[in-house]
Amino acid sequence: MKFLKNIFAFLIPLLSMLITFSIYLLIDNVVENYKSKISRDYSIVIVTNTPLIKENIDELAGIKVEKIQTLQKDKIINNIKNNLSNNSIELLKQKLPHFYQIYLEVFPTTSELEDIKETLLRNKNVRKVEVFYKNHNQIYLLLVLLNSVSFILFFIITIFAIIIIAKQIKLWFHEHSTRIAILRLHGASILYSASTVLNYAIISSFLAFLISGIFLYYVSHNMLVLFPLELHDIVDVKVNLNYELFKIFILSFCISIFTIFGVLLKYKINND
Amino acid sequence: MIEAKNIYLSYDDNKYIIKKGNFSIKQKEFIFIGGNSGSGKSTLLKSFYGDIPLKHGSLKIDNHEVFGIRGKKLRILRKDIGVIFQDYKLINEYTIEENIMIPLKINGYSHDVSKDQANKLLSHVRLSHRAGYYPNELSGGEQQRVAVARALAHNPKIIIADEPTGNLDDYSADVVWNLLKGANEQLGITIVVVTHRVPKNLGIKFRQLSIEDGIIYEVS
Repeated sequence: MKFLKNIFAFLIPLLSMLITFSIYLLIDNVVENYKSKISRDYSIVIVTNTPLIKENIDELAGIKVEKIQTLQKDKIINNIKNNLSNNSIELLKQKLPHFYQIYLEVFPTTSELEDIKETLLRNKNVRKVEVFYKNHNQIYLLLVLLNSVSFILFFIITIFAIIIIAKQIKLWFHEHSTRIAILRLHGASILYSASTVLNYAIISSFLAFLISGIFLYYVSHNMLVLFPLELHDIVDVKVNLNYELFKIFILSFCISIFTIFGVLLKYKINND
Repeated sequence: MIEAKNIYLSYDDNKYIIKKGNFSIKQKEFIFIGGNSGSGKSTLLKSFYGDIPLKHGSLKIDNHEVFGIRGKKLRILRKDIGVIFQDYKLINEYTIEENIMIPLKINGYSHDVSKDQANKLLSHVRLSHRAGYYPNELSGGEQQRVAVARALAHNPKIIIADEPTGNLDDYSADVVWNLLKGANEQLGITIVVVTHRVPKNLGIKFRQLSIEDGIIYEVS
């Protein structure tokens, strides 16, 4: 019973942190998935007088440019060539401006698209900029907001969890102080002396990982537990569970080991 | 074996408990350190295993300099020493067999070797039948016999004992003195005992140091 009580005191703050982290990971997956879904629902076409030096445009409105595709003039000419003589076609080829389509790495918001248009038009070589997009702005911004909020929540809970875990480790040290002192008197290292405390922490971390792993598995297969039915199309994502579970495992053990070594270091400084 | 040169000990900087301490203890000697209550006997003993740092001077135990000792060097020193306390300092969550195995495991012996050695020592202190008992299930005398067995377990060069019979009746005290005498005579272990009651008829050659007003002197 005492063992369970000891484990729970460590497990609960760690578990709260891992579950918040799992929620953050799920929302992040939803955002990433939505981003890739809408990533081609916009188009930026520019018309220039002279050929564009693509390498000069690597970022627009703070968004990295993925690629700049040259649009072939031949298609335009093909459509009208039946009515033109060969000479006229050659002349037209020389006189026609250059057309390019720009792809960005991240889906731009409406204001970012406007900003991009203005930036491009400042270039004297650019004759015209046409921007076409489907408005995903509100949903996208709401998802980004949700993602940020879940991360901030995770961050705050992590700080509190570390404080509570550190307090619990100190309590364990206090409970086992006689044993630790006796072992130290016989020449044991601090790690050996505190092995019981380390075992508690490792068991708690593993249990926390296991429970949060089950939570992540369940919610990733039943997203509507977290999100309303109306968002089904948006939140219906395929989560790379192995990768996300690995992140939770690393976080669980890193936080425990980081905290326990912090307390051990303090104990060593005070007692050596 | 143990050589103290001009050592000073104190818990704070205002008052020295031991002043200008000079003495030497040879290998295989049996030494008693006496003095009134609060004279600094236990403090002196604690300095032997680095529980209290020396303020000044030099204290060498089996070529380990104790002044300023800490970390890994302190752990190595402690591994060479067997310790016995008035309050036994056994771990209540461990059986007495496991308590005796502590110094062996710390010194890197395997579980099986430690267990065998612990059982030999339990037989030596006549507690084989209680191997699986916990310390609080034993009498004071039995607990101190376990503490002696634990101090002997890793075959240390020196055993230091702080009032080992302070809480025991005469019969149990005699058993403990005989065990320490045997360790000294048969195994050649140097024994340093702090006590205010030197046993009569120990039947062994010993030296006696005493502490008065922080000064250590030899009792002739």
